Parts: sequence; C-alpha cells; structure tokens
Amino acid sequence: MSYEKEMAEKLARGESSSDKLDIPLLKYLWDASPLSFITSKETYHEFFKKISVLSSFSDNEVRLFTQFLHRREFQANEVVFRQGDTGYGFYFIFAGAVNIYTNHNREANDQGDLVIKLEKRQYFGEMGLLEEFNRRTATAVAAENTILLGIFKPDLDQMLELHPVLGAKFLRETALIMANRMGQLTKEIVALKKKIKEIEQRI
Amino acid sequence: MNRNQKIKLYLFLFLLTVAVVFAIVFPRLTMPFGFSYIIYLISKPLTIRLTTGSKKQRLSYFLMILTATLFLIIPLVATLYNVDTDFVSFKTELSQAQKVLQDKFFAFKVKVFEEYGFKINIDPISFVMTKLEGLATDLLGQFPNYLSVLFEWLLLVPLFLYFFFMESQNLSRELLEAVPNPIFEKSYVLFSQFNTKFGEYIIAKFIEATILGTIVTIGLLVIGFPYAFILGLVAGVTNILPYIGPLLGIVPAILIAFLSKDPNVSMVGMLVVFALANLIDMILVFPLLVSKIVNLHPVIVVVSIIIGSQLAGIVGMIVIIPFIAFFKLLFKEIYKDLSVHL
Repeated sequence: MSYEKEMAEKLARGESSSDKLDIPLLKYLWDASPLSFITSKETYHEFFKKISVLSSFSDNEVRLFTQFLHRREFQANEVVFRQGDTGYGFYFIFAGAVNIYTNHNREANDQGDLVIKLEKRQYFGEMGLLEEFNRRTATAVAAENTILLGIFKPDLDQMLELHPVLGAKFLRETALIMANRMGQLTKEIVALKKKIKEIEQRI
Repeated sequence: MNRNQKIKLYLFLFLLTVAVVFAIVFPRLTMPFGFSYIIYLISKPLTIRLTTGSKKQRLSYFLMILTATLFLIIPLVATLYNVDTDFVSFKTELSQAQKVLQDKFFAFKVKVFEEYGFKINIDPISFVMTKLEGLATDLLGQFPNYLSVLFEWLLLVPLFLYFFFMESQNLSRELLEAVPNPIFEKSYVLFSQFNTKFGEYIIAKFIEATILGTIVTIGLLVIGFPYAFILGLVAGVTNILPYIGPLLGIVPAILIAFLSKDPNVSMVGMLVVFALANLIDMILVFPLLVSKIVNLHPVIVVVSIIIGSQLAGIVGMIVIIPFIAFFKLLFKEIYKDLSVHL
C-alpha cells in the first residue's frame, strides 16, 4: 500500500497521523524532486550527484553528507589558502573558479606560477583533510566570485562518530581521489624522465 | 586583505566582544548556560552511543534532560524538607564543638603555662565560632535568594540542554558563516579542538572525582569512621581542583576526628584512607585519564587556579585549566604559522 493511500485511509477512519513533520526530509525531497529543474538554482543534492567520485553515494547519503559542509563565499582574487599554511579542509567548487599557484611569494606580493584553473564541480585540498600536520603545497585564489563547499577535519571526525558508514565511504572516495592524483603524477614523472633522456641523448 | 574583508573581520570581532560583555554582565544567564553546557559535554558521548544508527535520537535527548533535571530537583527537595531541623542541629553541633575545642584549648593553655610560664591571653576559638555562627545565620537569611536562583536554574537548565542537544550543531554552523574567510579554517579547527579538550577534561575530572570519592567512602566505612558518604562526596568534589583540592577535601574529616569523643574514630586510620585514595589517584587515575588532556606545568596550574578563583570563584577554579590548555594550543599554532611564514 502506498504511503498516500495509507494516510488517506487513516484520515477517513478519523485517526490522527503519529508521524511528525520532518522538515529536513521534506526539504531534501523538494530538492530531489524531478520537477526541481523548474528552479534555476542548482541544489547541493544535484551538485554532488554530478561529481563522479561521489557517484556511489545513495540519495540519503548525499543528504547526510551535505549536513557536514560549510558554504564559503569568496570574491574574485580573494585567497582561499596560501602555500605553507596549515591545511585542515577539502573544498568543492559549487560556483565560480579557483586558480592554483605554486612558488607563491607573500612578501613580494607575487602569486607565483599558475598551475591549473579549477572550474565548477572540481575539488582541491584533500590532503589537508587526511594528513595530521598538513602544509598547503600551493596557493588557491578565487578566479572570480566563487562559492566553495568545504569539509574540515572536525566535520570528518563528527561524521565518523555519527554516521560511521558514510564516514568510511567518504574516506574511501577521498583515498580514490588521491590515488588518481598519484596516478597522474606518476604519468607526468615518466613523461618528464623520457624527455630528460631524449635531451641527454641529443647532447 | 581588501576593504570588504577588513569590514567583515572588524564586524565579527565586534560581535565577539558584545557576546563576551553580555556573558559578563548577565551572570544569571551565563552561569546556568555554562552549567548546561558542561552537562551536555558529559552526556554527549553517551548520547552518541545511544543514537548512532538508531532513530531514538529525541528519546535519548529527552532522557538526558530528564536525568539532569532530576539531579537538580532531588537536592532542592531534600534541602527544603530538612532546612529548619538541619539548621537547629547544625547550631547544636556547633556549640558542642565549641565546648570541646575550648576545653582542649584551655588544657593546652594550662600546659604551656605550667611548662614555660607563658600565659596565653587570646581566645581564637570563640572568635572563629562566633564568625561561623554569623556565617550560618547569613546563609539562612540568604536562603530565599538561593532558592529562587535554584528554581530559575530548574527552568533554564532543561531549556538550555534542549537547545544544546537539538540546535547547537545548526546554530554553530550558522555562526561560523559569519567568520571571515582568512581566519575561518584555523578558528574553526581551534574552536573544535577546544570543545573536544574541554569536554574530555570535564568528563575525565568527573570520573576521577567519582573514583576518588568511592575509594574514600569505602575506606572510611571499613574503618568505621562516621559520615563516610558525605566525606567521600566532599573528597570527590574538592578533588576537581588540582593540587589544592585533596588538601581541602581532608579538612572536614580531620575536624570530625579531632572533635569526636568516640574511641573507635581513628585519626590515623582516616589519614591512611585519604593518603591511599590520593596515591591511587596520583599513580593510576590522573596519569591515565587527565594528564594527557591537560599537559601543563604544575606552577602554571596553581597560578591558573588562583587567577580562576579571582575571576569566577569556584567555577573559575575548575574551568580555568582547560582554558589555559587551549591558550597554550593557540599560541603553539600561531608560533608554528609564524615560523613558516617569517
């Protein structure tokens, strides 16, 4: 019997529903509704469903996961974190873009060399979440007005305490992200070694 | 930092200052709020255990609030029920104690005069006893005030507890949104670390006090010392204060042993029980439970307790330790950051 039928029968019998209104659940159902495309704004639920590394999360897990996130708004050219800072968090780009620089020099006000421009639905800073004493290896600067969704060490601890399965799943996905980055790094090192060999042979 | 960021930072600092000033100006709200927070921290691990993976979250919150309220109601009812008879018996016992002390002091005066030919003219016993009697009368006079405060707490503590259990996570998330970006990561992590440290410290001290109180009670019962339960409770509660607490906890027991005419009441036995309880605390309980949480030098601890007592009395003496531990952590973090960037 469907929920609607059950409730209709209860009401017809004059019984009151013992179920209380669960506002967060209603909000989630509203966000997850197939008709939500009518609203132009993308919801956190839609956003995370489109991120490939979190695709194994069920709808309910996405809903729980978003409860641990912090929304941070950055203006264009505002620094998210600097190279050498202690890192505590992992960021997803909800809107806007972020430039990643290395060889940043604070005293000379030089942002350094641009490594990559990260766009919407990309992520950065995952090492800060896992390492105990993490130092940021690059500087992140908002390329335009940007909204980031950040998750930090205390949130991960809380997630593992309150929803251990979700916490373990998220840690597995974070480990996967790092494994992918390692894979890319290895490929780049191999390519660089090859180039060095070629140059040596030419000389 | 650009102009907008600076404005956000100054606004945030202003709001923080307003909150601190509000807390100082309205202690009638701050004290039950702080008390509720401590109860929340103590019950949090148990609540998490009860609620993880289950839907009985509201029920466990309700049980926690009910337990805390009962802890407030029971002493209130007990005090109201016995207040007049207790006061009369206290006055009678005080006059009896005064008589015993005066007899002992007189014997001491005679002995000094006989052996050294020196006459003692002062009478400290009457002076102290008159002061004590005055203090007891003042306390009774102030009783309606204490009662109204207790009733106020009875209303406020469950309310605040409900707030902490149900809303604290959402509210802290909303408040955190006001923290400016440049200091967000660090302040959030430090705030969380302080919360964890403070919670762990309070729970550790609570367990330590319970263990010590139980050992003292059992020990005193075994040697047949009177008021074993009350003395155990006093020893446990005073033990919350580091270094000074154990000394304070033994004072009532020494007084009872000194004033008692019962030959079965042994001063030596009582001292052995207290020494043993404190030894177990020092060797086993403290190193295992508390020292890892608050790694502070003893001199800093003693100085902090004095500062805490000046600022907020007994409550200040207890809560100053985790605050100092937090400031140590904060300075360490700032120093680490400076050493990287300079």
